[in-house]
Amino acid sequence: MIQNQRTQSLPNQARTERSLLFALSKGRLAQDSLAFLERAGLSIPTDTESRKLVLPAADGSIGFVMAKPRDVPIYVEHGAADLGICGLDVARETDRSVYEPLLLPFGHCRLSVAGAVNNLSGTPLRYMSQPRIATEFPRLTRRFCAERGVNAEIITLGGSVELGPILGLADLIVDLVQTGTTLRMNGLVEIRTILESQAVLVVNRTSYQLKAAEIRRIIERMRILAV
Amino acid sequence: MNGQVPFGVADYFWDEARDRQRLLNQLMETFRVWGYGDVIPPMFEFDSTLSAQYDDRLRRGMYRFLDRDGSTLSLRPEFTTPVARLVGARLHDWPMPQRFCYGGSVFRYVEPQAGRQREFWQVGGELIGTPTPAADAEVLALTATALNVAGLHEYRLILGHIRYYRCLLEALALTPPQSQQLQWALERKSEPLLADFLRDIPLRTGQRQAVESLPHLVGGDVGGVLSQAERHIQNRGMHEALRTLRQIVDALSGYNILDHLVIDLTEIRNLGYYTGISFEALTPGLGTAVGSGGRYDDLVGRFGPSQPAVGVALGVDRLLVARRRQEEANVVERRQRRSPALALPRGSAAALAQVQALRMAGAHIQLDVNGWSVDTAFAYATQTGVRDVLLWQEGFQHYRSEGDGDFAPLGLLDESQLFCE
Repeated sequence: MIQNQRTQSLPNQARTERSLLFALSKGRLAQDSLAFLERAGLSIPTDTESRKLVLPAADGSIGFVMAKPRDVPIYVEHGAADLGICGLDVARETDRSVYEPLLLPFGHCRLSVAGAVNNLSGTPLRYMSQPRIATEFPRLTRRFCAERGVNAEIITLGGSVELGPILGLADLIVDLVQTGTTLRMNGLVEIRTILESQAVLVVNRTSYQLKAAEIRRIIERMRILAV
Repeated sequence: MNGQVPFGVADYFWDEARDRQRLLNQLMETFRVWGYGDVIPPMFEFDSTLSAQYDDRLRRGMYRFLDRDGSTLSLRPEFTTPVARLVGARLHDWPMPQRFCYGGSVFRYVEPQAGRQREFWQVGGELIGTPTPAADAEVLALTATALNVAGLHEYRLILGHIRYYRCLLEALALTPPQSQQLQWALERKSEPLLADFLRDIPLRTGQRQAVESLPHLVGGDVGGVLSQAERHIQNRGMHEALRTLRQIVDALSGYNILDHLVIDLTEIRNLGYYTGISFEALTPGLGTAVGSGGRYDDLVGRFGPSQPAVGVALGVDRLLVARRRQEEANVVERRQRRSPALALPRGSAAALAQVQALRMAGAHIQLDVNGWSVDTAFAYATQTGVRDVLLWQEGFQHYRSEGDGDFAPLGLLDESQLFCE
């Protein structure tokens, strides 16, 4: 029998009937997320260095996937994962249709506009006719400029946006700032904050209703710690 | 010719096309059984007609083009507005209520996702001319029945009433940016954003408690949620919204679907043109709703005399994806075969006559029109998944596939053999 749509008939190995799948962001937020989940009394995977894509919790109650940060809201929106933890910056940039019940007490940083020290001399952004802005956050940057009536040329990069002004690729950058050290080392100063970010819990809209009891219990446990 | 199709449309063929068509028919038949009459609106209409509904997102996503006389046309993004136009402009003096059902393609300029291309199939129904909670309950119960017909038994219907929230906003007398702030918080079910709102905006104690209670007005304990909401009524509108929901809940206990009902008074996105109840149908395995509907009492009046109305639309493709993921094809299999039997008439007129008789009886039969040898026929049958081969020798000799290319002779054809699975 010739099978049409083979992929969709594969068994869904990642999840069994009632268990939850949690998507966590690789990188910056990974260790803090796991530590926070443990403090909230959730069973977490014992071996996070494993090559396995879906990691079961130590007691098997929840499955975890470590995803690229930007993919977390996408997994959750589509219901591939029931819950996720990502940065508010990523949640706003990807703008997916998910619930965001709680902000979590880690991963604090800010999304800022920055430029070369010598280049600025106190000029407000709205005086610049067509600034070129390098960023990993084109959506938020475009909105920020549009709200000020600035017709910016936005150059979307995959990382190391500080290079933009150094190489003459861009006049300004929009990037995440934690301490400001990286900016200073590259001769850049912060001009404006676009968004104060921290970790956020995102929940799939369907799971929120269909797995209400399990998900509310997790939210309750986190709420105590999320101040 | 490069043989490509535009982004967002797809070819459906073989089993998938058959499943789609069959589910569409089954759902339409369900609506007909409930007394809904067929309506087939045009695929495209004047843009001004289809833009008469108030859903901004829907309007932004419409395919627009120019007619040769310069008027702007749009492909229909949904069926409710064309049906409202039909009733408002042409059938306004026909006795109410009027019930209509429809099924077919709609077009939206959106990012393709699971079970939703830019062209996708909707099936739905509209009950026009009745403002009662009994009408709302009928549409909810009909939705539940349709989900069962589609083989989805683990669904939830998330029911809200937009007037609870809109009338709360009236009572709070917020500025537009303030109500935007509250809407943002509720759309995301975000406790921190709601806390920010309560911190930024001074409210009287009762109003403050009404806002604080909003996140708790969600859940499957329908009576409990409504009782809690009743404690925070600020005006007549909120009271009426809750009373309507109570009456719907009472009616639904008769339809025996209360176990599937969840009340959510904070679900305020995807409002569109709704003026009363609104609901979404959710099932496990799919992150988005498989169907949605609600009451829209303002729409028919844009095309003629005003009429209250309530309706539902289901996404056929989303239902199929959800069912496939639940892997429980509980839909009753008709007397139908996966691949039609292959009949070799070998030039006999009597063979053709018998093929016709078998088809009349409901068997699916494809005819060899190439004058194939038996071996060629068996090879074709093996490659295309045909189980039964009928070879004419003074009557049809029946051969059945045993897999791996072998066919076993079953002797003279016994008709019933073509129908057994």
